[in-house]
Amino acid sequence: MKIVEFKNVSRVYASGGHELRALDGVDLELEEGRFIVILGPSGAGKSTLLNILGGLDSPTAGSVRVGGRDISTLSGDELAEYRAETVGFVFQAYNLIPTLTVAENIALVGEIVPDMLSVDELLREIGLADHRNNFPAELSGGEQQRVSIARALAKNPKILLCDEPTGALDSETGVVVLKLLLKMAREHGKTIVIVTHNQNIAKMADVVIRVKNGRIMSCEEQSKPLSADEVDW
Amino acid sequence: MLFRKLIRTMWRYKAQFISMVIMIAIGVGVFTGFNMEWYSLERDLEKIWDATGFSDFRIVSEQGFSAEEAEAVRAIDGVDDVTRFLSVNATVKGEGDVLAMTVNTNMDVSGVLLIEGADYDAADGEGMWLSDQYAAKNGVAVGDRLTLAYKHFELSGTVRGLVKSGEYLVCLPDSTQVMPDYNTYGFVYVTPELLKSAFGFELYTQINVRSTLEKSELVRQVDETLGSTTLVMAKEDVVSYAEAMGEVEEGKTMGNILPVLFIAIAILTMVTTMHRLTASEKTQIGTLKALGFKNRRILVHYSSYALMIGLLGTALGIGLGYFLGWYIMNPSGAMGTYLDMADWTLYMPSFCWLVLVLINVFLTVIGFVSVKSMLRGTAADALRPYAPKKMKSLALEKTRLWARLGFGTKWNLRDSLRHRARTGMTLFGIIGCMVLLVGAMGMKDTMDAFVDTFYNKAINYETRVHIDSENASEEAALALVEKYAGDWSAQLGVQITDKALALEIYHIEHDKVRFVDEDMRIVPLTDDGAYICSRIAEDYGLEPGGSFTFSPYGSDGEYRVRVAGVLRSLSESIVMTDAYAESVGIEGRVSVIYTDETDIPADERITGTLSKQSIIDSFDTFMELMNTMVLLLCVAAVVLGIVVLYNLGVMSYVERYREMATLKVLGFKDRKIGSLLIGQNMWLTVLGVLVGLPCGVGVLKYLLNALAAEYELKLVLGPLTYGVSILTTFGVSLLVGLLISRKNKKIDMVEALKGVE
Repeated sequence: MKIVEFKNVSRVYASGGHELRALDGVDLELEEGRFIVILGPSGAGKSTLLNILGGLDSPTAGSVRVGGRDISTLSGDELAEYRAETVGFVFQAYNLIPTLTVAENIALVGEIVPDMLSVDELLREIGLADHRNNFPAELSGGEQQRVSIARALAKNPKILLCDEPTGALDSETGVVVLKLLLKMAREHGKTIVIVTHNQNIAKMADVVIRVKNGRIMSCEEQSKPLSADEVDW
Repeated sequence: MLFRKLIRTMWRYKAQFISMVIMIAIGVGVFTGFNMEWYSLERDLEKIWDATGFSDFRIVSEQGFSAEEAEAVRAIDGVDDVTRFLSVNATVKGEGDVLAMTVNTNMDVSGVLLIEGADYDAADGEGMWLSDQYAAKNGVAVGDRLTLAYKHFELSGTVRGLVKSGEYLVCLPDSTQVMPDYNTYGFVYVTPELLKSAFGFELYTQINVRSTLEKSELVRQVDETLGSTTLVMAKEDVVSYAEAMGEVEEGKTMGNILPVLFIAIAILTMVTTMHRLTASEKTQIGTLKALGFKNRRILVHYSSYALMIGLLGTALGIGLGYFLGWYIMNPSGAMGTYLDMADWTLYMPSFCWLVLVLINVFLTVIGFVSVKSMLRGTAADALRPYAPKKMKSLALEKTRLWARLGFGTKWNLRDSLRHRARTGMTLFGIIGCMVLLVGAMGMKDTMDAFVDTFYNKAINYETRVHIDSENASEEAALALVEKYAGDWSAQLGVQITDKALALEIYHIEHDKVRFVDEDMRIVPLTDDGAYICSRIAEDYGLEPGGSFTFSPYGSDGEYRVRVAGVLRSLSESIVMTDAYAESVGIEGRVSVIYTDETDIPADERITGTLSKQSIIDSFDTFMELMNTMVLLLCVAAVVLGIVVLYNLGVMSYVERYREMATLKVLGFKDRKIGSLLIGQNMWLTVLGVLVGLPCGVGVLKYLLNALAAEYELKLVLGPLTYGVSILTTFGVSLLVGLLISRKNKKIDMVEALKGVE
């Protein structure tokens, strides 16, 4: 089932009299429950694509429909509701609240979502039940990223958006994180969208989208994606 | 190039820069202003006392002194100069105003300073030299004629000059008046010639002496010379000197307390601000180091940022200080309505310059130390972004209460404890705001209660009639009491050990005069003892039930009396009923009648009258001045609160920018994030108010004791003061919170969440 639909989406940044066309007439459709990887060099527009899909940014032209709803015309508050209900974000830099413990960082979601998932279950799922009372600074990078994923999942979003989720991790820790994300797609039916320039991650994807100069260069389905263990890191 | 960077850094952190400059300007302004006030006052007072030959001692005798006696005193070793002096209250014919009619045989002592007209001429048989202030208020000019009535004598003369006099620096008709009122009261010097032609005889009740001798030594020598126990008053016992020097002392106290609060807040805020600023500039500091800039150059660069703040703040502060100094110290300002000085030049005490230099050095050192801590280690270390302290669990987290707290409370509580310096400074700012508001408004409440009790309740008469107790017979005086259906009092000069005090003996039948106890309640006088004012009780450690001894001036007699109670009183005095006075053998002759009659025709037994209204009016000027001061302090409190809280709020906002961006990405609405930020401010405000309220009361208590001990004030805080000060403090905090949370809309989630933590 189609969950995301980009129609002729452009995003133009104007600065100092210059125009930067980050996205240039993008058309894209994504199916629900897939593990999608967006690949491209720096400045290709892949993060802009993800930010617009995540409701962090709005297109300057075109429309974006998520779950049948046009999000390109939403107000600030409506976008906040969209982010709370529909999408979860995972960043390269984890962005956990340093003054809240692991459990509190996840429970934080309860402030905006009435029916969040159980913190204990999520902690078990990410394998950090023993660290529930630790502060982020007391965890390794991989552990912090897993907390960040748990926090994103706690809202029970339809789509999980990850911007270079393993960018700051060593390959071993990166595999643990990717396995967790894959599990979410395979076992929980989440749509996972990962933006990366790591070609290896693409081997795990159901769909690989290549972006260059603000345009979609290709969108391939992979019939036999590899598991994280099968990929040569 | 680095200078250009310095200017851009200032612009980048303009909120911090401007608020720091304002804080330092206010601190320096209050510091220099109040210190300039007392120091200039001290120097300008010296000038008028020198110019008019203000006397060091006054030898008093109601019988008067002869020229020979004056010469004998002059011959005492250690006495520089003397004059025979008379000062009596005389009525201005046709006006009803009262002038202190002064006659002086040697104008080098207790003389005048000519402001306009002809020099003093002792040979002028018609000459009068009138107070320029009284002349201005009453439209009297040089050349005008005045007729004065004193008892049954009349003196007519021509105003030859307008003058000021050190003797009448605080020109008050008696101790119940707090502020001079030149509309109704002034002074005039008339020549001995004029006095002699009007009176037909000489009368000088004082010998004023300029001498560097100790009082005890002079008393001994005068007693030896004049052959009897004589009343000698040192200048410290004279209203003009005591009150003026009191003002200097009060200025010193103000100069010591208020600036400390403001400068401490400014310096502490500077510490926090410079630390945050250098922390957020750490990568740039590292870049400069990596580029090959020497540590010294980088240190100078950032220290000069702190120095620039200091210098700009100091320059503005000095300007503010001069304004504040001028505001208090100008002929029509607060001090001008009280002290009649000729010169109002402002002087900055030299220690102020030293302190200002030290403040700037200190501010620069703060900048220096902040950068130094960021420069530690290698260039690579310096290049790493500043990492705030790691979070540790709080003891509170082990309690059940913690689990019940919402996310916002936990977030704010941990953030407050993680950034203790910022939290402490915010608290300090709120406490400062609260202290100033409670202090200022409490001062007004206290004075309002004082005026209400003393002037509206204790004074239950319309007119006070002063009787010529020396010449009028007791029967004649009592006939007047009868005629005006009044109560009366006798006023005597007494002393306890060496201290000159007033003894007031009252005969109360018509409830015209009432007395106020220490709890500001009106109490009746009983016949079983003497009442003392709070100051006497404190100075001599006296309590009701105890007893003490005093002796009347000019007599060797001693009286031992029982303390029946302690009263709050404007004058430092002992009060008793005539019945008790009689029982201990003190005789008092009617000297003042208190009556509801307002139309008192001239009478040879009457030396003057004073209406309740004029007493109250004279206090109005004082109250107006105080209201202005209260308003100024309230404005200062609000400015202080806004500047400190805004500066720290912006700092907190910048530090939590990334966290707020995360919340926004998660789906928190701007309003929700704003309320979290305001929540932290509100909790700190609750704490600040709880601490600030008692601190404010404490400061007010201290100030009342230090500044206004002579009014024997009881601290009163009205419900409105509690309400307004608490609401204003919360209002300031909320306003700043709203201003800062408005910035939430501008959080760039994408930018904020890029990069590595």
